[in-house]
This record gives sequence, C-alpha cells and structure tokens, in this order.
Amino acid sequence: MAGNNIFSASLSGLNAAQYEINVTQHNIANANTPGYTRQQVTLGSQAAAAASGAGFLGQGVNVVGIKRLYDQFLTGQVLQQQGLASYQNTYLSSISQINSLVSNTTSGVPNTLTNFFAATNSFANTPASIPARQTVLSAAQSVVDSFQSASQTLFSIATGVSGQISNSVQQINTYATQIASLNASITSAIASNNGQQPNDLMDQRDQLVNQLNQQIGVSTQQQPDGSVSVFVGSGQALVVGGRAMSLQVVQNPNDPGKVDVAYLNNGKLTTIQQSSLQGGTLGAYIAFRDQNLQPAQNALGLVALGFASKINQQNQMGQDLNGALGGNIINAAPPFVTSGANNTGTGGVTATISNVSAVTTSDYQLKFDGTNYTLTRLSDNTVTSLGTAAPLTQVVDGVSITAAAGMAAGDSFTIRPTANAASAIAMLTSDPAKLAAAAPMLASAAVANKGTGTISPGSVNTPLPLNANLQAPVSITFSNPPTSYTVAGAVPAVAGTVAYTPGQNITYNGWTMQISGAPAAGDVFNVASNLGGTGDNRNALLMAGLQTQNLMSNGTTSLQGVYSQLVGAVGSKTSELTVTSTAQNALVTQAVATQQSVSGVNLDEEAANLLQYQRAYQASAKAMQIANTMFDALMTLR
Amino acid sequence: MRISSSTMTSFNVAALNQLQYQIQQTQQQAASGTRLLTAASDPVAYTRAMDLSQTVAISTQQSANITAATDPLSIAGNTLQSVTSLLQDIRTTAVAAGGGSVSDASRATMAKALSGQLQQLIGLANGTDGSGNYLFAGFQSKTPPFSTSASGVVVYNGDTGQQLVQASAGRQVPVNDNGLDVFMRIKSGNGTFSANAAVANTGTGVISAGTVTNPALLTGNSYSISLAVAGASTTYTVTNTTTGLPVVGMSAQPYVSGQSISFDGMQMNITGAPANGDTFTVAPSTNQSVFTTISNLISTLNTPVSGANLANGLASGILNLDNSLNNILNTQSSQGLRLNELTLLQTSNDSMAVQLKQSLSALQDTNYTTTITALNQQQTVLQAAQKSYAQVGNLSMFTYI
Repeated sequence: MAGNNIFSASLSGLNAAQYEINVTQHNIANANTPGYTRQQVTLGSQAAAAASGAGFLGQGVNVVGIKRLYDQFLTGQVLQQQGLASYQNTYLSSISQINSLVSNTTSGVPNTLTNFFAATNSFANTPASIPARQTVLSAAQSVVDSFQSASQTLFSIATGVSGQISNSVQQINTYATQIASLNASITSAIASNNGQQPNDLMDQRDQLVNQLNQQIGVSTQQQPDGSVSVFVGSGQALVVGGRAMSLQVVQNPNDPGKVDVAYLNNGKLTTIQQSSLQGGTLGAYIAFRDQNLQPAQNALGLVALGFASKINQQNQMGQDLNGALGGNIINAAPPFVTSGANNTGTGGVTATISNVSAVTTSDYQLKFDGTNYTLTRLSDNTVTSLGTAAPLTQVVDGVSITAAAGMAAGDSFTIRPTANAASAIAMLTSDPAKLAAAAPMLASAAVANKGTGTISPGSVNTPLPLNANLQAPVSITFSNPPTSYTVAGAVPAVAGTVAYTPGQNITYNGWTMQISGAPAAGDVFNVASNLGGTGDNRNALLMAGLQTQNLMSNGTTSLQGVYSQLVGAVGSKTSELTVTSTAQNALVTQAVATQQSVSGVNLDEEAANLLQYQRAYQASAKAMQIANTMFDALMTLR
Repeated sequence: MRISSSTMTSFNVAALNQLQYQIQQTQQQAASGTRLLTAASDPVAYTRAMDLSQTVAISTQQSANITAATDPLSIAGNTLQSVTSLLQDIRTTAVAAGGGSVSDASRATMAKALSGQLQQLIGLANGTDGSGNYLFAGFQSKTPPFSTSASGVVVYNGDTGQQLVQASAGRQVPVNDNGLDVFMRIKSGNGTFSANAAVANTGTGVISAGTVTNPALLTGNSYSISLAVAGASTTYTVTNTTTGLPVVGMSAQPYVSGQSISFDGMQMNITGAPANGDTFTVAPSTNQSVFTTISNLISTLNTPVSGANLANGLASGILNLDNSLNNILNTQSSQGLRLNELTLLQTSNDSMAVQLKQSLSALQDTNYTTTITALNQQQTVLQAAQKSYAQVGNLSMFTYI
C-alpha cells in the first residue's frame, strides 16, 4: 500500500511541477503583453483518505487552480490615471496647434497690424503721395492675409477635431462590441468550469475597458455572473452583459458646422448633454472645441471686425484724393445667423453690427417660446428679453437683431456676431486714391479780418453717418460789439445772434471748431468744403491714431488688446496643460509601476521559478525511481 | 518592492523622453535667442512683450514722423531766409530812393529792379518741398498758392490748412505755414492805425506813423486831418469820417511842424509845410500783403516827385515793408522753435526707445549663461540615463542558465 502511495504522490508532484513550468512559460511569453496579469499555480497538499496506524500520511500535491495576481484597487487606479492622462495629452496636443498659431511672430496678426499703422503714419506725413498710399493698401492687404490665414488654420483645426470626434466614436463602438463579446465568453466560461475564472479573457477585458476609458470617461459595474456593465456620459449604458449599445456622430441642430455625439439604443437615437461626455480623448476634443477653439475663432473675428469697421468708419469721415467722401475699403462681415434644424415656423432672424465697440466674443441664441422672444448670451447665459410682438428689432451688445413674425413656439436661432469676420475680411479697393487723408471741410478766417481771432481747422463729428450739409458753406460774422455773432448757412438755420466765448466748441452741420482770441466787429469766419485739400492729413492722423485707441470692448481695450487677450487665454491654458499633463504622466507611471509590482512579470523571478520547478520535477522523478528500486529490491528477495 | 521587467523599460523610455524634450526646449531657446518660444512658455511675459513690441514700433514710427516733419520745415526755413534778404534789398533800394539827389529817371530804374524782385518773391512764395508739394499753399498742396490776377494784383489760391505730424504720443507738431498768414495777413501802418497823406496834397507836409497813447480810447473809426492856411497862420481840424462829426476840441487848432496831434487815444505829427486844403487820413490798420506793399512802392517810384508825395509814399512803404519783414521773421522763429521741439522730442524718443528695447530684451531674450549651463546639465543627465540604461538593461538571469 505504501509503495503505491509513493508512486501516486510522485506522480502528483510531477504533474504539479509541469503545471508550474507551463504557467511560468505562459508568464514569460506574456511578459510584454499589455494588460497581462501574471499567473500562479495554486497548490494544496493531498490529505490522506484515512489514517494509518501511524497517523495521517499525505498523498502528494493537488493543483487547486491557476490564479491571476490581480489587485482590483491598483488596476482601478491605473484606469483612472490613464483616462486623465489621455484627456490632458489630447487637450494639450490640440491646443498646442492654436498656441503655435498665436505665437507666430513674423506674419501674425499683431505684426501686420503694427506694419499697417506704421504705413498709415507715413501716409499721414505725406498725404498726397501715391507710393505712401499704395504702401497703406499693401499693408492692409497683409493684415487681411494674416487674418485669413489664421482663420484658415483655425478652420482646419476645427475640421480635424470633427474628424477626430468621429474616429473616437468609432473606436468607442469597437471597444464596446469587443467588451460585450468578451462578457459573453467569460460568463459562459465561468458557468461551465465550476466557477474557475478565465484569467486571460478577463485580462483582455480589463485592457479593453482601460482603452475605452482612454477614449471617454466610463464607469463600470461588476456583475455576479462575471460580466461587466459599462456606462458613459450621464449614465447611458454602453455595455450590458453580452449586449453593446453605441454612440453616433450627428450634426449639431443649431450649428451646421459642428458635430454632436448622440446615443444609439435599439435603433433609437437620443441626444446627450455634450458637456456630460467627459474625460478621455473624446471629452478632450469636445472641451477643446467648445472652450478654446470656438472662442479663439470668435476672438480673432472680433479683432478682424474691429479693424475693418474702424478703418472703414474713419475713412468714411474723410475726403479722398479725388475730393469725394471716403468709402469702405475693407470688408466687414455681418453676423452669422443659423436657424435651428428643428424649427417649424416661417419667421427668420437677421442681425447687423450697429456698434462694433460693444461687440463681445460670445455667441447668442434667440428663442421663441410661443409668447416671449428671449436672447441668451452663451458665454455667461445672460438672458435678455426681446419682447413679445414680432417683428421686433433690438440692439444687444452692439448687435442689432431683427426677428420677423411667423416663428413657431420652440424655434431657435444661433447668432455668431464675429464667427465669420476673420475669414470673410477682404480688401474692397485697390485704388490708392480712395484712402481719405483729408477732412471734408475746412474752417478759416477771412483775410480782411481786423481782430486777432483765430479759428481751428475743425473736425468731423462722430459717430457716422455724416451730416448731409457737412460741406455746405457756413459763415460766422461778428456783431458790433464783437461779443456775439450771427451764423449763415447752418442747417437748421440759426436765428438771431449767438454769444461768443473764446475757445468754446462751435458745432453746426456735423462739424466742430473753435474760435479763440479777440475778433473785431465785422470779422468773418468761414467753414467750407475742403475740395483740393490734397495736403490735408487730418483724417489720416486720426486713422493712424486708431492703433492705440481703446476702440473695443466698450472702450476698455485696443485692437491689439483684444488679440493679446486671446494669446493670453490660449497661452495660459496651454501652459497649464503642459504642467498638468507632465504631472499626470508621472502619476500614470507611478500607478502602473505599483500595479505592475503586483501583477507584472519579472523575468528574473520567472527564471528562478523555472529552476525551482525543474528541481521539483527532477526530485519527484527521483522519488519515483527510488520507489521503483524499492519495488525491485522486494522482487529480488525470493 | 517587486519590479516587473516591462516597467523597467517603460520607466527608462519615459525618463529619456522627458530629458530629450527638455534638451530640445533649451536648445531651441539658445538657437532662437528668445526664451519665449510660444505664448505658453510664459503667457504673462509673452503678452507683455507683444504690447512692448507695439510700443517700440510706435516709437520707431514717431522717429520717422519727426524726420518727415523736419525736412519740409527746414526747406521752408531756407526759403523764408531768401525772402528776408530779398525784402532787405528792397528796403535798401526804397531808402536810397528817398535821397534828394536821385532823379526821376533813376527812380524809374529802381522801380524796374523792384518789379524783378517782386517776381522773384512770388517765385519764392510758390516754392515746393522737392516732391512737388507747395510749401505755402495750406492743404492745397498741388496748387501754386500765388498768382497775379489780370489787374496785376497777387492773389492767394491756397487755404489756411496746417498739416500736423504725430511727433510723440501726446504731441502733434505743425509742419507747414500757409501763405495767407506768411505773406498776406500783414497789418498796415503801425499795426493799429495807418496814417496817410492824400494824393492830391500840394504842400510838403509829411505825416508820421503815429502811436497809440491810450488803447481804451480807441474807437476803430476813420478820421481826416484837414489843414487851412490863412496868411502866416496854419490850422488843422480833425473830423471823424465814420460818424461825420468833428472831434471835440480838435477844430482849427494851430499847426506847428513836428508838434504832436493827439485825439481818441492816438498820437502822430505832421512835419513840413502843408498847403491850404491838404488832408491826411487816419484809418484802422488793414491786412496788406507784402506784394501789395511792393507794388505800391513801385508805383510811388514811378510817380514824378511833386510836393511830399514821394516822402509820404516811401515812409508808408518802408513802414509796411518792415511789417512784412517782422511777420516773416516771426514765422521763421516759430519754425525754429518747432525744429527745436522736434529735436528734443527725437532725443527723448530715442532714449525711450533704448529703454523699451531693454525691457523687451529682459522679458524675452535668452539668458545665455543660464541656458548654456542648463543645457550642459541636461546633457550630463541624459548621457547618464542612456549609459546606465544600456548597462542595467543587459542584466538578465537567463544569460546564466
């Protein structure tokens, strides 16, 4: 009986050693497999079936199972940190594109703007010089080019982001399907193998969940049957047991140029709150697009719009080289209005810029609820009530918005005041004579004047439009005694006399000038058209002065200031992400190292194990040989 | 702690990546000369540098503006210098013409010379800045400002516009002076009133330019002083021709040559022997162009001497010529002041530019000492990482079994 026991115990030892060598070999083979968890043979000693007279004699070793050295908590840490890292790295690489765009120091917007104003100054110094005027036009063309090229770059980044969102959604759907099919395999493997876990399948599933989480933040729930349920967004189930739902890219109902992610379940498409899609590559692309890319497009547009509008306005206040009143020289795009895809009414919305100084970088949404027309500023969700009766026109933040009658309840419109300004900016003239250097009128004192009264050349009143009688001749004649004067030619006509205060503004017909000193009785001062005033640079000086004036944001910042704000916002976000993503990558390395310290394969350890198991195999075989020798010895006793 | 074999590799790869990134950044700072590689390098400094760059560009532009203003100012100054010496020549001629020994014929020759000089003056007043812009035309820079009308009067075709130049942020300096103010708007007489002898006078009475004794009493009216000679006694009567009333207390006053005649805040005298019925007029000063003054002198010289007409004509002509000279000297000194101011602005602009560039450089330029030191350090670390990894990576127990 005892001899038989030696054989079977040795056999169990040989068997166990083979299992161990096999598993070690499996570990070595998978040393570099991503997501692989090292495995170990669990051994138990085989107890005696019954006690002999001397007590319980063990019957060898028993292979209980093969377990993975898996730590749920550490694996969860890796999942979380890698998801964050994926989000931040994607965000960083996306925003770096805008960062390098705004950091262009040779042909960027600030440089071309500076060059333009330098050219305008030279033009003011020599207002009649055609080469100086030509230089202003070419400098303006460079400004236009820099806006267009920046806008083109932002546009291609936006197109790229849309493409990346589709790729990411496709990737997510693939992972969801793979996880679902693994769920099915795992459930059936557990059920048909007495609860033994299919280690490698579970590793694969963990790895897929990890990769999915790098695409989009997910939450998981372990089910009793061994499957894992996966949820995205605000709790939408992506995988339940062996069934996978999917996400789909759809067009944004308010902005045809933008894509949204929707949830597809049983052929039914439901919209998801886009901001709930957080984390991972997809979350990064959506956050980057909505929080950085669109604001950057709008801010660039605001600078372009401000530049074009202000230069046009100043040019319109002057007189060009041909003696005509100045016109627009740069195209300023109107606000971009889109009607909601789900609108059912017939009423439309139009918008124009009425005061560029008050325009913000925000987009707006106009909604009709059946009774009230409201306008929401999307940057801070400020709601303005527009009234209840259409058609209506109201100016909000410098944008004049007109809503026509016929809207149905629930109709909405998106108004983007500056979205198109940078891409649509263009030169409207190539004729250097069209630049208005001169003011359209000139005030002067008559030669025959006896007094010491002097008159300023006069300036055109702001804002536009110009007074229709701006260039009509007006004469101011001092009465006797010269403490008052009469005005002829003003529209409307001035009756009687006007008291004279030296240095005070005198304003008629859309101009303003001052008379100072002591005019004598009968002295005459004239304001008339400035025809032929080719040496006049009053308007050109005002145009050159636009460079440093606080033209934008309700008079708080200059054109370059608006651009600086954009650069500051993009720069600090990029810098923040550079720091946090470096830190995050370090955290990932830490988490992975900790997790791998439990679950990773160490080849030296496996080599040692291999030697150990080899010895165990050799020892068991030797025991069997000894038992055989014992048996032979018994046989030779005859 | 257990280390998994794959961790060792990924740790090292991550470390090498990070080190190489650092070296690349440092190298780029060294190569480009700027530490602000992109806005993200230091967003605050970057936007500040943008603003400073604009300020530097503006200062460069203002420097160019100052140069642009200096040229026409200097050219106009030179032209006015020629005008001054021309007017002084004319004055010398006029003084010489008053000498008793000068015949009518030689005065006619002098008048001819003056006519030539008048044309020369018009030429100077129509001067250009070298690029075809008239210096004294106001804003009408493409129109010759002075021309002679059919009746021989020089008229002004320009306007009163004055071009300004942005010489500093808060200062626009005037560049040109219009011809109206320089050559046309010149007060006649003594600047307040002008005393003249009537053309028909036959006596030798010469009236002085006169002075204002009490500005408060000035009326701004015109007067006539008429003389009556009865035997040995000569009397004069002053009448206010604006109101038509005789001036109180100035009727039939005894005339003494050279004695002052005072009324309504004005004082003047008449010298010589006026004839009966001779009159003198006293009228408020009007603006008389230097061209008219010279034309008047020419006609005075062309008129044969009779009574005191030459003396009176030359006296008022020389007085008005002096007024013109003063006016031009005033313009010249104003131009000189402006040129001075431009030089001062240029100096302060230059030193400002130096300061701005220093601030800009401190903000964005690479500090080569720290950068090169950092580069050396990073290089050492990278080499150490590479070498150690190469050695550690070779360690495996499998080599021994």
